[in-house]
Amino acid sequence: MTFVAKTAALVKKDLRTELRGRDTLPPMLVFAFVVSLLLAFTLPGSHDLSGRIGVAGAKLGDVLAGFMWVTVLFAGLIGFGRTFEVEREDGGLDALLLVPLDRSGLFAAKAVANLLFIAAIEVPLIPLFALLFGIALGTVWPLLLLVVFLVDVGFAALGTLFASLAAQTRSRELILPILALPALVPIFIAAVELTSQLFTGGDLRAISGDGWFGILVAFDVIFTVVGALTFEFAVD
Amino acid sequence: MIALDNVSVLYGRTVALDALSLALPPGIIGLFGQNGSGKSTLLRVLTGLLRPTSGTVTIDGRPVRSSDESLRARIGYAGHASGLYARLTLIENLELFAGLHDVPPARAQELLANLGLAGRARTAAGELSAGLTRRAAVARALVGDPDLLLLDEPYANLDDDAAGLVTNTIVAWHTPERTCLVATHGAKRVKPYAHAGIILQRGRLVTHGLYRREPVEAT
Repeated sequence: MTFVAKTAALVKKDLRTELRGRDTLPPMLVFAFVVSLLLAFTLPGSHDLSGRIGVAGAKLGDVLAGFMWVTVLFAGLIGFGRTFEVEREDGGLDALLLVPLDRSGLFAAKAVANLLFIAAIEVPLIPLFALLFGIALGTVWPLLLLVVFLVDVGFAALGTLFASLAAQTRSRELILPILALPALVPIFIAAVELTSQLFTGGDLRAISGDGWFGILVAFDVIFTVVGALTFEFAVD
Repeated sequence: MIALDNVSVLYGRTVALDALSLALPPGIIGLFGQNGSGKSTLLRVLTGLLRPTSGTVTIDGRPVRSSDESLRARIGYAGHASGLYARLTLIENLELFAGLHDVPPARAQELLANLGLAGRARTAAGELSAGLTRRAAVARALVGDPDLLLLDEPYANLDDDAAGLVTNTIVAWHTPERTCLVATHGAKRVKPYAHAGIILQRGRLVTHGLYRREPVEAT
């Protein structure tokens, strides 16, 4: 089997395990759904996303983009926390570490599986947000998909790397957010800025000319490369 | 040839291996000793999963490092835990590891048959009894057709018939150039077919010696 085929086999293993066990996706989905509903009761039902709300006078579009990505962030961290649980049970990690596959393949497999889990949350979450808060996605949804994809790549890469570090500790559930959240800040600021522009009618020229787009792409590349190169030290 | 030179492993203040020096030629070698004597630690050091606190370990002159992909391809290891994914069936587990080791999937079927697990191929690994799980762990360690087989208590929870299947599978796998270390606290199941034995106590080598030179045949 080639590197790619072995990596794909490990992704398939993670997806199959999740489909049978349903240990990761349901808590992520429930969290995302409950937070969305709570926000629907607390935020104004205004459809003017450029309008300003609250004492600080923030734009509603910014606030909604922020809440959407905060929901994805914490739902994702729930999933990342379980990334290596399936490997820890019954010594699976030892068996996996002894297979003749470069550690970057193990990293890629875990990161892709995590990426798919996050995407599985976003598929219902984004339309739900649009529905609850009257966000007209109309023609911007392909651009929103692009932004979502770029955010997810960096999020999954970094989350997987830090989950592998946290998995070596006893209090991994506490360690993971402590490690990951500060490092994830640039990605999620970029995500909020770009999504807010799309919610308030921004187009491709507006977001690609924005510095945050470049920052997001740069962080994706950095985190993916760093994750693949340093995963070996995290798991060994 | 596996060589350990002055290998020590410390867990905090606990000495698991104490300046152990050994040269292990190919063959089936019993690794004996009471609980806490350092058998499991020694096996983990040989896999490269555990880095010794001091000393060096080499296999055919190459330092053992878990980052050495070609070395990993040669090692089959079954520790205390089974290393199987509980939600995958037995055949899915073995075919996964066969693929990762570039071995045809037929090897998985063959091992299941040899270890008396063919009828459980479609059972989830998490639903197997302790004895069946132990046999399945041996199958997983063997599925990559390794040159160095490291088995930690492979006879735990096994009745005599199942133990016989494990013994026959190990003996059938073994060829003169291959090495197998079988760690167990009870020597009676390993001595009849092992070529040599090593006894550890508190991380130190108590004694070692040959039982036989001639190859052993499966019964």
